[in-house]
Amino acid sequence: MSALREQIAQWLPGHSLLVWALILGGLGLWLRVSLSDRPTNYLSRLLGGLSLVLLGFWLPRFGGWAEQAVFWVLAGVAVLTAGTAISTRSPVYMALWFAVSLLATAGLFLFQGAQFVGFATIVVYAGAIVVVFLFVLMLAQPEGLAPYDRVSWSWFAAPFGLVAGGILLCLLLLALLPAPTGESGMPNAGASQVPVESHHVARLGGELYARHLIAVEVAGTLLLVALVGAIAIVIHGRSSGASGEPRAGLRIRDPGSASGPWPRGSAP
Amino acid sequence: MNEAALLVNFLIVGGLLFVTGMVGFLVRRNLIVMFLSVEMMLQGISLSLIAWGRFHQDLGGQILVLFMIAVAAAEAGIALALILMLYFKSHTLDAAFWHDLREEGQPPFIDQGLPETRHEQPQWPRLTPAGIRPDVNQDEQLHRSQV
Repeated sequence: MSALREQIAQWLPGHSLLVWALILGGLGLWLRVSLSDRPTNYLSRLLGGLSLVLLGFWLPRFGGWAEQAVFWVLAGVAVLTAGTAISTRSPVYMALWFAVSLLATAGLFLFQGAQFVGFATIVVYAGAIVVVFLFVLMLAQPEGLAPYDRVSWSWFAAPFGLVAGGILLCLLLLALLPAPTGESGMPNAGASQVPVESHHVARLGGELYARHLIAVEVAGTLLLVALVGAIAIVIHGRSSGASGEPRAGLRIRDPGSASGPWPRGSAP
Repeated sequence: MNEAALLVNFLIVGGLLFVTGMVGFLVRRNLIVMFLSVEMMLQGISLSLIAWGRFHQDLGGQILVLFMIAVAAAEAGIALALILMLYFKSHTLDAAFWHDLREEGQPPFIDQGLPETRHEQPQWPRLTPAGIRPDVNQDEQLHRSQV
């Protein structure tokens, strides 16, 4: 414990910009994820943008201006649209913002030279998974904004979630970043090997089907099992559960009644 | 390019995506939104995997991301089937609806009151009229030969 405190005390003075960025970003996100109609939207956007700018100043430079600019645009779009996605009240808009975030993440993959994974992300995630989710949303919630999209769990969900996220992020940064005075703790990159970009897809396929052949087969089997399982769940649920009367929806607490909305044991 | 600095940049962006997804999972109550938040956490993880693979000049990170995409697709199929079944049983996507699965002796979840909504008429865009107003033929207005 004292070692951790010492490490934090050694680490903190060099990274005050990062700490401020995290605090401002957390405040902005907190203003948004409480999901209310208060006119704090502009303030939260301002805080989020400011925190990203601070973070951009703090992050170490890795290359020329063109590379930096491409990275900043892609990373900023990915993080900002992710924050917008989790704080938008309409689930349809949430799925669309998440798709934008996925596109920016795929751009980051391309930036790293992972061409196949980038395009697979676009095709599988943004093209298939998000669209299927949109179909289910249209099927299950055609009337738009529901009450449970407009309130969170209770008053404590947003601050506690943000504190948990902040602690997680700080632990990650503490493990990742050396103290500003110390030496970098990271191992060197393997410099002698072939760079990732050359003959990328051919090498990726060779590695995938030579070293990881059994894993590929297992993944294929998993997809098949998931397909069969999804169909089985739908068939079984239709035959057993569709006949019963649906239970009443979640009631909002009225000031008179102190008991819970449902009696025990009223499961369908 | 400075590879170590690049790694740090990407790890931080991946960590931000992961934490954002986690906050969304903890805060939101719509089942589908919670599931998409989990997908966002997976995106953060795959971003850091790709960055480590680039740093070590090794293809293992990308291959692991490929398997993650396969598992995420399987997971999305199963979860959508489950969510659809839950919806057919309860006619709501609210996760709080299933709180009678809670442990014995726990108090029930009581929802807070909905916040006030401001009913504003949406401002639809209006086109300004342009051009010459055409002659209106009264005969055609009254008798439409083809509809």
